[in-house]
Amino acid sequence: MANYFNTLPLREKLNQLGVCDFMDSSEFLDGVNALKGKKLVIVGCGAQGLNQGLNLRDSGLDVSYTLRKEAIEGKRDSWKNATENNFTVGTYEELIPNADVVINLTPDKQHTAVVKSIMPLMKEGATLSYSHGFNIVEEGMQIRKDLTVIMVAPKCPGSEVRAEYVRGFGVPTLIAVHPENDPQGKGLAQAKAYAVGTGGHRAGVLKSSFVAEVKSDLMGEQTILCGLLQTGSILSFDKMVEKGIDAGYASKLVQYGVEVITEALKQGGITAMMDRLSNPAKIKAFEISEELKDIMRPLFQKHQDDIMSGEFSRIMMEDWANGDQNLLAWRAETGETAFEKTPAGDVKINEQEYFDNYTLMVAFVRAGVELAFETMVQAGIKPESAYYESLHETPLIANTIARKKLFEMNRVISDTAEYGCYLFDQACKPLLGDFMKKVTTDLVGKNFNEGKDAGVDNRTLIAVNDAIRTHQVEQVGAVLRKAMTAMKTIKTA
Amino acid sequence: MKNLNNEQSHNNSLSFGEGWGEAFVSISTLNLKYQHKLVLKDLHWTILKGENWLLSGISGSGKTALAKAIVGLQSVSGEVKINFNTESLLPAKALFVESWYQFKNVEGVANFYYQQRYTSVQAKETLTVNAELMSYGKENNLAFADAEPILKALGFSALKNSQLIELSSGEHKKLQLVKALWLKPQLLIIDQPYTGLDAASRKHLNVLLDDVSAEGVQLILICNDAELPFCINRFATIEAGELVEMNSREIASALPEKYEREIPDFLKESPVYSSNNIVKMVDVNISYGEKQVLNNINWEVKAGEKWLLQGPNGSGKSTLLSLINGDHPQSYANTLYLFGNKRGSGESIWDIKQHIGLISPEFHWYFDASSTVWESIASGFYDTVGLFQHLPFSKSAQVDELVAYFGLTENKNELLSALPLGKQRMVLLARTIIKNPELLILDEPCQGLDLQQTQHFNQLVDELCSNGMTLIYVGHFESLLPNCLEKRIVLENGKVKVIERILEKNSIIEKENYSTLVEQ
Repeated sequence: MANYFNTLPLREKLNQLGVCDFMDSSEFLDGVNALKGKKLVIVGCGAQGLNQGLNLRDSGLDVSYTLRKEAIEGKRDSWKNATENNFTVGTYEELIPNADVVINLTPDKQHTAVVKSIMPLMKEGATLSYSHGFNIVEEGMQIRKDLTVIMVAPKCPGSEVRAEYVRGFGVPTLIAVHPENDPQGKGLAQAKAYAVGTGGHRAGVLKSSFVAEVKSDLMGEQTILCGLLQTGSILSFDKMVEKGIDAGYASKLVQYGVEVITEALKQGGITAMMDRLSNPAKIKAFEISEELKDIMRPLFQKHQDDIMSGEFSRIMMEDWANGDQNLLAWRAETGETAFEKTPAGDVKINEQEYFDNYTLMVAFVRAGVELAFETMVQAGIKPESAYYESLHETPLIANTIARKKLFEMNRVISDTAEYGCYLFDQACKPLLGDFMKKVTTDLVGKNFNEGKDAGVDNRTLIAVNDAIRTHQVEQVGAVLRKAMTAMKTIKTA
Repeated sequence: MKNLNNEQSHNNSLSFGEGWGEAFVSISTLNLKYQHKLVLKDLHWTILKGENWLLSGISGSGKTALAKAIVGLQSVSGEVKINFNTESLLPAKALFVESWYQFKNVEGVANFYYQQRYTSVQAKETLTVNAELMSYGKENNLAFADAEPILKALGFSALKNSQLIELSSGEHKKLQLVKALWLKPQLLIIDQPYTGLDAASRKHLNVLLDDVSAEGVQLILICNDAELPFCINRFATIEAGELVEMNSREIASALPEKYEREIPDFLKESPVYSSNNIVKMVDVNISYGEKQVLNNINWEVKAGEKWLLQGPNGSGKSTLLSLINGDHPQSYANTLYLFGNKRGSGESIWDIKQHIGLISPEFHWYFDASSTVWESIASGFYDTVGLFQHLPFSKSAQVDELVAYFGLTENKNELLSALPLGKQRMVLLARTIIKNPELLILDEPCQGLDLQQTQHFNQLVDELCSNGMTLIYVGHFESLLPNCLEKRIVLENGKVKVIERILEKNSIIEKENYSTLVEQ
């Protein structure tokens, strides 16, 4: 199988990368009608599978689950999840031939194997749905020409997809139709109905393409989301310990700090996050984040280039074939870091203290989000797509770090994200060596404002505020966030 | 402040032991402001050794704030001194059992939703009761064997392997009580100890409280209930920010006057029914793994009927209601008709919910308290938790009317989380009726309200029902039910025990005794 993107002429590459339409709510007035009475069969019953299925059924659709024979016979968790909630469960042979829509919600790595076994069983003219485009775009999976191929990707963990639905809301969702597989032209109508069925239409739906989704998703997860949060967390912890800050305190500040800081990001973008700092701290954070952007820009560009050329997927799939040798080695290394091994201390850190004593992380987050966004946009990805894959998802990963620290965070994200994260982290740490030498405890571990004059120069502050607020990620974000302001806060700290 | 040695009618003969007459808790010039309003004003209170107090008072009078101030959970100006007995074997601690308890999942997140406990998920997110008790015992050096009799007395033993998310609000209450009675702190303050408990559990709790009191635990109970443990020997209420001592528990039983305010016009319209069959259940069964929660339930509710649903804690009442409200995943595999349609015939849960106004302790518990009062009530039009859309003018005017009717106008822009629980409950009660629904499901609607609020709400329910609204009402306290109830269904261990017509209100009182017998 050849990389699909690389088979396209440049015109078509740009065309597909540029599919990006934040849909108006009037597009969803037909509700779930396009799927009403159709047989929806979900492959896999993990967190996404179960919760999406519960939502679709509660929206009046006919949902059942198909699992591999071994999972059914062994009464595995996926089988129990489905049967105990009164869904029909059957083997591929039993359920796929009658399915109008087959929804593949298995882990990315299994896609090739799963799709190869279900495709011959699918009936003429049916629809195959994905929640991630890796298999189609990077692995180049060819789907039978009579089948329609769509993507519906809620941009939140499965448990949130359910929680937001039952309270009458939803989570932001990305939908796409694969242009090579839309023989009857019904793909978009079905994808929209699916988004209504999971409640996504209430929180904002972005029409994208398989290509745009994959190229932006990979970039976001390996640079800002997982990669930089990992690098920044480890460097911050090590710096504090080096400078004599109590290790328990340092561990807690790092574990929960990203979550508290990015909660402001979630609600009001980079602007709100920076506004939580005092004026002198804000100016300082701005200056060092500018410096960080200059240092890291070549690395971000390399990641984007390797993603666009397919080089990243190639080396990662080599590692898959190699029994995950690199991945497992890097994972073990993460488990051995001092941060991972130091439990959070039994100290109370109040909300504002997370900003005042962790100004360095605010700078890391601003630099990472803006760089990832800028690099994606320069590569031809539209700003709305770039926003979802950078700023929007940062608080979600931060929340996972707060709950699980880094080792477990890496284990729960996709293998693709985990591999990219380590790749970034390995390259980024040495790159920041000189920068970190200059960092002192006023930026990480102690209150930045302590013993400092609170005054600032008007013109400097105005220029800094202006630079933050007029960045494109802020302008796009303001529009997209408006659609999802009602989402509930998830917080641990 | 009255002289506390002034003899009150201590009608029980407690042996106060050594130190009787010494001050145990001394509170002086306590002041607490909430949004420029003085809640506690130069409050003085001395609790002597051997005394057990009842603190009553209307909703929002500052009872909970005072309790929190005593244990140091609420910052106030003034002085609170607790003179712990250093010789005692009991831990020198002041424990406050909140009327509301927020638990977290194993990862420390408390982002639950109220339908969650009906969904079967293999990846367990919360601790089991057993694990929770184990860690509590370890933290406080308690012997597990000492917890067993308490668990047994409160009918909690069977729940040891349940996950926290699976417990009902009454069961969560019991878990907090178990912990407190197991710990036996020198000062134990319980806010609303009886909320959500069935009649039998309330009696058992009183026995347990008398037991710990005899061992030296001093109690402050915050509630307006009449059936108290014998050991309660002092009575007080908070009025206008000050502590006022009472002669006995009698005070709470004065009947409030009838509520004279007229109900808004839009609530006087009779509902239009699309079908005469509101609910029909045929041999309905619900189970989680091996555990059967509902067993061959057959029940029909016709348009306009007023039902009382009863049964001890854990008998399956809220599961039964969750089937009607479209909240239970297992309803798809049962023979169930709602509003004339077979469940699972292509309707969405929103199609079902639009006919229903619902409140339950769990619904309140998991409600998003970061909405304002006005938004919370308005969200009832769309059956959502939180308001996600703009209201047309006519609907918005109805919200204003109802806000005024419930006396919430001055709070209408406040966040729900900023209000005391009693007031939050009033907001959610307004939410249940805002769309003048065909079916009103009121599962212990008046929990946390004072007597007057309860009477007024039940009076409103009677008025609404006289226009033809269908009602299913769950209530443990016999004296606090609306008059319109005409039929009764009683569950026991997941089965229908009784379905009958209520002849007069007296017969309802019998059922309370009945459910007592059932548990014993």
